[in-house]
Amino acid sequence: MSFDQNAFLIIITAAMIAISCGLLGVFMMLRKMSMTGDAISHAVLPGIVIGFFVSGSQRGLEVIIGAGILGILATLMIDWLRRKARVQLDASIGITFTLLFAIGIILINLLAYKVDLDQECVLYGEIAYLPIDLWLTKSGLNMGPRILYLSLLNLILVTAFIILFFKELKVTSFDENFSKVIGIPAGLINLSLMSMVSYTTVSSFEAVGAILVVALLVVPPATAFLWTRKLKLLIQLTIVLGIGISIVGYYLAYLFDSSIAGMIVSVAGIAFLASALFKSKSFLSRFGTSRQPESLKKIV
Amino acid sequence: MITQVKSPILEIHDLTVSYDQSPVLWNVDLSLPSGKLIGILGPNGAGKSTLIKAIMGLVDPSGGYVKLFDKTLEEVRSRISYVPQRESVDWNFPASVLDVVMMGTYGKLGLFKRPGKKEKELSMESLEKVGMHGFANRQISELSGGQQQRVFIARSLAQNADLYLMDEPFAGVDMATETAIFELLQEMTAAGKTVIVVHHDIYSAVNYFDWFIMLNLHLVASGPKETVMTEDLLRKTYGGKLNLLTKVSDLIRQKEFNPLKN
Ligand SMILES: Nc1ncnc2c1ncn2[C@@H]1O[C@H](COP(=O)(O)OP(=O)(O)O)[C@@H](O)[C@H]1O
Ligand SMILES: [Mg+2]
Repeated sequence: MSFDQNAFLIIITAAMIAISCGLLGVFMMLRKMSMTGDAISHAVLPGIVIGFFVSGSQRGLEVIIGAGILGILATLMIDWLRRKARVQLDASIGITFTLLFAIGIILINLLAYKVDLDQECVLYGEIAYLPIDLWLTKSGLNMGPRILYLSLLNLILVTAFIILFFKELKVTSFDENFSKVIGIPAGLINLSLMSMVSYTTVSSFEAVGAILVVALLVVPPATAFLWTRKLKLLIQLTIVLGIGISIVGYYLAYLFDSSIAGMIVSVAGIAFLASALFKSKSFLSRFGTSRQPESLKKIV
Repeated sequence: MITQVKSPILEIHDLTVSYDQSPVLWNVDLSLPSGKLIGILGPNGAGKSTLIKAIMGLVDPSGGYVKLFDKTLEEVRSRISYVPQRESVDWNFPASVLDVVMMGTYGKLGLFKRPGKKEKELSMESLEKVGMHGFANRQISELSGGQQQRVFIARSLAQNADLYLMDEPFAGVDMATETAIFELLQEMTAAGKTVIVVHHDIYSAVNYFDWFIMLNLHLVASGPKETVMTEDLLRKTYGGKLNLLTKVSDLIRQKEFNPLKN
């Protein structure tokens, strides 16, 4: 199996998910909210379970809506804890997502007899089954892998969101107070971004799992940020990285016969570490200081 | 010593602002004339930034109100410009100098519209005014503190407003640039704009401002330079920092600063 159709489908899907996550991740990183993305991806679990329970299907629109609501709820809770209760940001995030995630686990157990939801699948995903999970129309027509369509739709919506609100995302990420002063609804933009992250998380969890979505949100943007201080280039580099790690990750997984999603994220992590190492070295020799790049501090 | 004016450009009525239930601004009540260069003086933690944020609607007052151009903030947003303290943002942000200055034009553009040629020209003009046009394509992470400050001032100029509020715009800016920008601000006020500046240096303040607000949690004074630039009021504003104040009164004497002459 060097380059068959299944490999192609899996790589395309993985790349689309990586790009969607990366595009959103760039702005999460610039808002110093990378870990909020982490929180959201875990906090959506109760929403998924409830949506599943209501619709009776893992594929229902209710699942995405449920996840979206929980994602926003998590964002609001983190914000409230930080601003009103004066809890440190990292503690607010930790409290919020562990609590909501735990509720999700309990719900799965409580509703286990009705909800055939595989915890393993939610957490780790299994993109390898993608070619056999087909979308069949009512007349029985085979449209191809279901998740491919989900990822494509997700990518289109995320891209449209970023293009449409580019200016607003940029100014609210750089200087929130200033954006409020000139009349840009900063709070609404922020919630929209969080909703897109929630939606992307659910849309992707079947393929790569909730945990690995986090890695795709955080690692490619952080890696790209080590190489450039230009926003457009940062976004382009994140996209290229998303595609690159999908291809390399897939073939390494094939080679070692291991988890594709796990390998993709490992490759991303190695690319990041290599970049950080290279950058810190060239930085040292050029300026003789050991100032850490901002993005590095955030990950460690 | 509070001078109230008729038909003020900015009216603050009995304003109290608290963080966590503890007030940091008490019953501030003042009105400001238009077309003046106005300085806000006060020691660290006096509430100067808080006052500006309350005017700009960034913090909610626990009492009182603010009126601008005799209207609410919402109605006159596009006529007001704001320069936040430099430390309020992360300058590692991936943007060029021109990108940041263009943000000044976003307010008038509205949702979904992208800045075009007109906005770019306006931004370049603003950069030229602060002597930074040579840096337009530089990344902001590569600027010195003083240069970053000038980018913020340029962004504010690009807003093309009638009322400017600037929070310590001269922190870290060299003397020559400070003088040049003060002259620019004086030109702007001569052309009818109103500029309110939080300033930390009393010495240069005396030279440039027409009107002073002195603040130390309470409002100590608000009025024309001639009536409020006195040792007594400065002492009330800055508390017992006698050393500094002796120097100031020296300065006032040295310059033969005589309010009646001007
Ligand atoms: N976000 C905040 N939360 C709590 N206290 C604050 C906040 N911002 C400022 N303060 C406090 O309010 C007081 C006034 O602050 P500020 O307006 O920044 O003073 P200034 O600009 O005159 O130095 C200070 O004691 C400061 O510690
Ligand atoms: Mg201040």
